[in-house]
Amino acid sequence: MKNQWIEFLYGKVTVKVSGKGLERFINILTRNGHHIWHVKRHGTETVTFKMRVQDAMKIRRFARKSGCRISFLQRSGAPFLLRRLLKNSGFMLGAAAFLFIIFILSNMIWGIEIKGAKPATEYQIRKELDKMGVKIGKVQFLVENVEGIQRHLTDNVNALTWVGVELKGTTYHLQVVEKNEPKKPEQLSPQNLIAKKKAIIVKMFVETGQKVVDLNDHVEKGQLLVSGVYGQEDNPELTAAKGEVWGETWYKSHVELPLVTNFKVYNGKEKQKYSLLIGNFQIPVWGFGKNEFKNYETEQNVYKIHFLKWNLPISYIHKTIREQEEYQRSYTHKEAELNALELAKKQIKSQLDEDAMIKDEKILHKTIRNGKVILDIHFKIIENIAIGQPISKETPE
Amino acid sequence: MAKKWGQRVRNWMANKMDLPQDVMMDLPRITMIGQIHIYVENHRGLLAFTDKELRLMLKKGQLLIKGKSFVIKAILPEEILLEGKIDQVIYINDNAGGTK
Repeated sequence: MKNQWIEFLYGKVTVKVSGKGLERFINILTRNGHHIWHVKRHGTETVTFKMRVQDAMKIRRFARKSGCRISFLQRSGAPFLLRRLLKNSGFMLGAAAFLFIIFILSNMIWGIEIKGAKPATEYQIRKELDKMGVKIGKVQFLVENVEGIQRHLTDNVNALTWVGVELKGTTYHLQVVEKNEPKKPEQLSPQNLIAKKKAIIVKMFVETGQKVVDLNDHVEKGQLLVSGVYGQEDNPELTAAKGEVWGETWYKSHVELPLVTNFKVYNGKEKQKYSLLIGNFQIPVWGFGKNEFKNYETEQNVYKIHFLKWNLPISYIHKTIREQEEYQRSYTHKEAELNALELAKKQIKSQLDEDAMIKDEKILHKTIRNGKVILDIHFKIIENIAIGQPISKETPE
Repeated sequence: MAKKWGQRVRNWMANKMDLPQDVMMDLPRITMIGQIHIYVENHRGLLAFTDKELRLMLKKGQLLIKGKSFVIKAILPEEILLEGKIDQVIYINDNAGGTK
């Protein structure tokens, strides 16, 4: 017997032949290259067999010659199945549409919950989310992923210290921590102001307390600047000394800056690739072909696809491949020195309070070794050197 | 006489060169699987077919297969596969075919 499946695909038909000389008729058919099978005898003058649909039309002329009557009984196989399917396609369409709608609805954003935010901040966050396109009714894998939303919010909403974004099913949960806007309550316990480091005092502004040092005085670290004790010696009154004492302080800084630096920079060329991940198998959907970039970095976003409450083993992957270029930055000695100085200033500033300022800098030592500029710089800084030190009542100073 | 000579030459070649007889001499090759299947190659056409009997034309003579509930599973110009319960396979030869 020939391969049944091929016959199934082509479509087969059951033929009933009646008349005399059936055997001769079958011989003629087989000799003309028509496949027939499942030949069965019914009574003396009838035979049934199956054959391909394409051949079925051609046997009429043989039948006419041999004087047999033929009739077709039953048709089966893929073409007929398909035809029936097409006839009832409404059902199929309905089922497919139903699945599709459920599927789309399971991947939509159905809610955004914001916790821990004041109404004003919440409004701001909602506005920012709207701008990003994170809205109720949007499809999840067309908006940014959770990390992206988180980054965007912390960057663009000033009142936020931290925001945790979590996607649970179809709802985004945002946990917000706001910056502490109200200032700390004033410290009311008695205190002295002392120097936090060695300095020469250039400016003093005392709100309360007894000044102990004067302008242009040299003070050591820990030295008393403004006393919170005043009044008669035998009956001192304690108060919280408040004020600012600006002093000139000194810092030494050591920086090294290579003359030639290699960077990797994106040159703006990029390629988008979309694919479906089914189990462990990736099927590209859009963005074919190999990228012709020599150096590149790939960013990959994976979106899980849900069906009702389940995660399907299918994910949608969006890859962005960005070309990188080697970029060499080289400085002349002069430029390197300037940049090193800037770098040193930045380093110093990061250590200091915000209102401190650099008065003067002096390069103590400069060498160029191993392709690096090495600088030792001395900074003169004017900063507030006063810090509070509580006075304990038991041992008043 | 010439036919007989040809026959003899073929017979001789089949013997000496170790070739299968059915190829050389147009004999039917019959394969049976128990009682249920019979597969005949090299037939020359259907002569009669009922559910108890199948008669095949051979190059020389006829082959008669007797049994019960026969169904031809496949038929090609020179091959036939019959299914059913086979009781007898009989050669009918007016002039012996396949004898040496």
